[in-house]
Amino acid sequence: MAQQTSAAAAVAESTAAAFPVARAARTRGPLRRPSRKLIELVVLLAPALALFTFFVLLPICVAAYYGLFNWSGYGPLSDFVGLHNYRLVLDDPVFRQSVLHNVMIAALSLVIQLPLSLGLALLLNRRMRGGTLLRLAVFAPYVLSEATTAVLWLLMLQPGGFVDQLFNAVGLGHEVKLWLADPSIVLYTLFVVITWKYIGFGIILLLAGLQGIPAELREAAAIDGASPWQVTRRITLPLLGPTIRIWVFLSMIGSLQLFDIVWIMTVGGPANASSTMVTYMIENGFRSLEFGYGSAVAVILFIISFVFALLYQRFALRRDTAGALTRAVG
Amino acid sequence: MSVAVQSYRRGRRFAAAVPLSYLAALVILAITLVPMLYMFIGGFRTTAQINTSPAGLPHPWVWSNYKTILTTASFWQNLGNSALIAVIATGLAVGLGSMAAFALSRYDFRLRESWYLLFAIGLLFPANVASLPIYLLLKHINMLDNFLGVALPEAAFSLPFTIVILRPFMRAIPGELQDAAIVDGASRLTFFLRVLLPLARPALMTVSILAFVTSWNAYLLPFLAFTSESKFTLPLGVATFQTTYSQNTAAIFAFTALSMLPALAFFVLAQRRIVGGLSGLAGSVKG
Amino acid sequence: MRGTRKYAAAAFAAAAALALAACSSSSASSPSSGGGKGAKGSVTLTWWNNATANPLKSVYLSVITTFHASHPNVNITDVPIQNEQFPTKMPLALQSNSPPDIFQQWGGGQEATQIKSGKLENLTSMASNLISALGPAAAGWQVDGQQYGIPYDLHMVGFWYRKDLFAKAGIKTTPTTMPQLNADVIKLKAAGIAPIAVGSKDRWPDAFYWDYFAVRECSIATLKNAVKAVSANYPCFAKAGNDLKVFMATKPFQVGFLGTPAQVGAGSSAGLVANGKAAMELQGDWDPGVMSALTSNKKALDQIGWFPFPAVPGAAGSPSALLGGGDGFSCTTTAPEPACVDFLTYLDSPSVQEKLVAAADVGLPANPAASPALTLPAEKQILQLSQQASYVQNYFDIAYPTNVGQALDNAVADYFAGQGTPQGIVTAIDQAASQQ
Repeated sequence: MAQQTSAAAAVAESTAAAFPVARAARTRGPLRRPSRKLIELVVLLAPALALFTFFVLLPICVAAYYGLFNWSGYGPLSDFVGLHNYRLVLDDPVFRQSVLHNVMIAALSLVIQLPLSLGLALLLNRRMRGGTLLRLAVFAPYVLSEATTAVLWLLMLQPGGFVDQLFNAVGLGHEVKLWLADPSIVLYTLFVVITWKYIGFGIILLLAGLQGIPAELREAAAIDGASPWQVTRRITLPLLGPTIRIWVFLSMIGSLQLFDIVWIMTVGGPANASSTMVTYMIENGFRSLEFGYGSAVAVILFIISFVFALLYQRFALRRDTAGALTRAVG
Repeated sequence: MSVAVQSYRRGRRFAAAVPLSYLAALVILAITLVPMLYMFIGGFRTTAQINTSPAGLPHPWVWSNYKTILTTASFWQNLGNSALIAVIATGLAVGLGSMAAFALSRYDFRLRESWYLLFAIGLLFPANVASLPIYLLLKHINMLDNFLGVALPEAAFSLPFTIVILRPFMRAIPGELQDAAIVDGASRLTFFLRVLLPLARPALMTVSILAFVTSWNAYLLPFLAFTSESKFTLPLGVATFQTTYSQNTAAIFAFTALSMLPALAFFVLAQRRIVGGLSGLAGSVKG
Repeated sequence: MRGTRKYAAAAFAAAAALALAACSSSSASSPSSGGGKGAKGSVTLTWWNNATANPLKSVYLSVITTFHASHPNVNITDVPIQNEQFPTKMPLALQSNSPPDIFQQWGGGQEATQIKSGKLENLTSMASNLISALGPAAAGWQVDGQQYGIPYDLHMVGFWYRKDLFAKAGIKTTPTTMPQLNADVIKLKAAGIAPIAVGSKDRWPDAFYWDYFAVRECSIATLKNAVKAVSANYPCFAKAGNDLKVFMATKPFQVGFLGTPAQVGAGSSAGLVANGKAAMELQGDWDPGVMSALTSNKKALDQIGWFPFPAVPGAAGSPSALLGGGDGFSCTTTAPEPACVDFLTYLDSPSVQEKLVAAADVGLPANPAASPALTLPAEKQILQLSQQASYVQNYFDIAYPTNVGQALDNAVADYFAGQGTPQGIVTAIDQAASQQ
């Protein structure tokens, strides 16, 4: 991978800087006291590696194995069914619907949250009175847990509840819908809740990126006769590109693992209208006591996330991270 | 020169931009704060009040909801459990993660980039997706209903971003410092503990906060792992409270509002670090 | 250096936290986990029940107190859990090392599934006297002749209705056939009243309709076979599905029924009837107890009446068959005995049964000796009908094993939401059964 090559180059460069003694030693022969270095490496690296392998990598292998069985969770694993569970999962229209819902949330985030965050960040990127308070307030929902957010909005979205009253108060009474009961809009309602929670994060991230763009660039363009819009389009946005791509990456990963808000507000209902991949997994694994099936779902979800993220890394982030994550940071 | 440019710029700028941004700011403030305020104020009403007029102000103001919750053990238990687990998860993630980042940034060895890639792959793996397999694993090793059974996986899942953020920081520390330390007779490990870590403090704070908040707000894994209510964490407690006391809307408002306080207080205190960390993240990918 | 000291302090704090967590997790002293032993041989039992609201909740608390008075070394911790949380929490609990000592048990195939965990105590010999006292009721909690749960009340499902709203719509008598019910639905709609409330969000209330049409269409023998074979692939079930389709076509439910819960809050289906916003609800006989908690207008409960599920013209099933079930409790193997069995026996003692039935309106008592204590006229009506019933079919989602029951609920709920066909319900059952 290109990332690895440039990473390796950067590594070699910094290694040379950090270990002049080592380099000299290397040209003459093996490092002095290699066993000491090995011990240090093991002490430093092994604990993290062990924890990571055991709780991040191992579970997926475990799930891949359990997925080959029919298992109610009680008793021994006795009913081997091979790839039958995996086939059942991919055949299940509810599973496909759940994946579709995740994709819809991800797409909506791109199409609605991103421009909104961008626009607001651009608008707020100036010295304002109460700027700190604003940033605090905007970011606050991000700090709340998804569970708390879900309970909060569940209460507000009850028929005749706070949101409905608000609509009535501003004269939009006829627009009041069954926010969580109508299968055709429940997913969008949940999207609004998700946006409420995460838009502050996007704004702050983009603001930080904006502040990394030197003002001189914009000034120079302005002097050259560019309108504010042209400055934004030709200078600000491209320079903001890496930040945007990071935001998109985080947002996509978040969309894939959406659970808490959906589970507490609708349990994936009504009639699977708001089910996500993870609620599907929990519903079928735990509620239906089909842990073999649930494990198969977990493995498939892992593959989906992994493939998406790899593709994204390769095509979108390659330019940025090759330099960003391996180059020295000021 | 810059002054002249600024006045030139200001003249050409879209005249309504400033009031527009204040308007936008006000709208954002309203949308963000009103729901939370609604929750806080709702705790001061009775359920009957809420049923008759969902969007009204307390009339009269009732203290009993907040008082009851603050004097029953369960809220404080949830709070304490969340804190305990978050401290362990953060301590492990940052401790082990910084050690690994040090190894991956300042040592040279075969397959180093492969090991780094292995950790980086963890970034692509959402924790919620692993929850069912982790549950089965915990069941297998008898660690269900156990604080460590939740804290360890949380720490493990915080390792990727910890290492990915710390490694460039550690790499950026000039090699001369390390040489000087070694010349002074310090071992690499002493250099790590006494020089590198203090210098990497901003990054350490950022990853600590990220790991802490991730653990504090976790819901799914505690939901699956904990059977005893005395072990519930705060998000779990809020959700359970809402179902158990579903008839008592006012109490739910109060409990939810109280559960928001620690997170918000923490945020107010640490906001500079959090926002600074994000700036660092954004800045580091300036490309 | 100062920096090192800070890190050392942080490391120490983390280590202390780790130690604290390890210690508190390994000890079984927390009262919510199973089988705690206190001083001088006193025991504490955790009791998971679904009484999150009064009046049943306070009745339970008083029962605990009186039991403790007669058994001073037994403490019971009441842990009410919302009804809809049980399907998720019980599997989790039974797979952990610290399941609750006493937990709510609905019997049937669901119980059979739980027995596979090996954590349910076999109560056959320990509670033999009680089992014979309960008579046929105890059978619903037996698996292969062995008793794994003890019922404390029995239920029949039927239509609860508002007499005042019926009067308002000009309905003089309660319907006895489905065409009459459909006609009443039309009259109620004309009067601007939501005819029938259903808690479709929770899915199991939907299944009652399918279950009852099956009870009307299928012979008793077929019903028994269906449960034994874990299938619904019989012609009478297809007919039942068709009945459901015809019924759904009359659009009898309240607006937004897909998102309405059954028992949670004033906007639930029970709450709607309690507050006069809907005229009928097909529910078990626990409904009056639930409704009383959801309205401040106590007078409203005087307006609640009951009629059995209407007959389906031309249906081949037994006309006096009823759909029902019951609530019970199981002991886990880690629960201290004989404290657990003693408590369950106490719950079935006539005095407690009378309290449950009269003060908390739980339904019909499991102990026949307490039948005279029924106060509500509707409950007496139900009792009489249950004594004359040719057969009581357990709700299918309980009678079937857990995963099949869940599949049934899902399929019916999907059909209610306009997805799938009645035949799809049968297919879903068979498909889930093959996963056994």
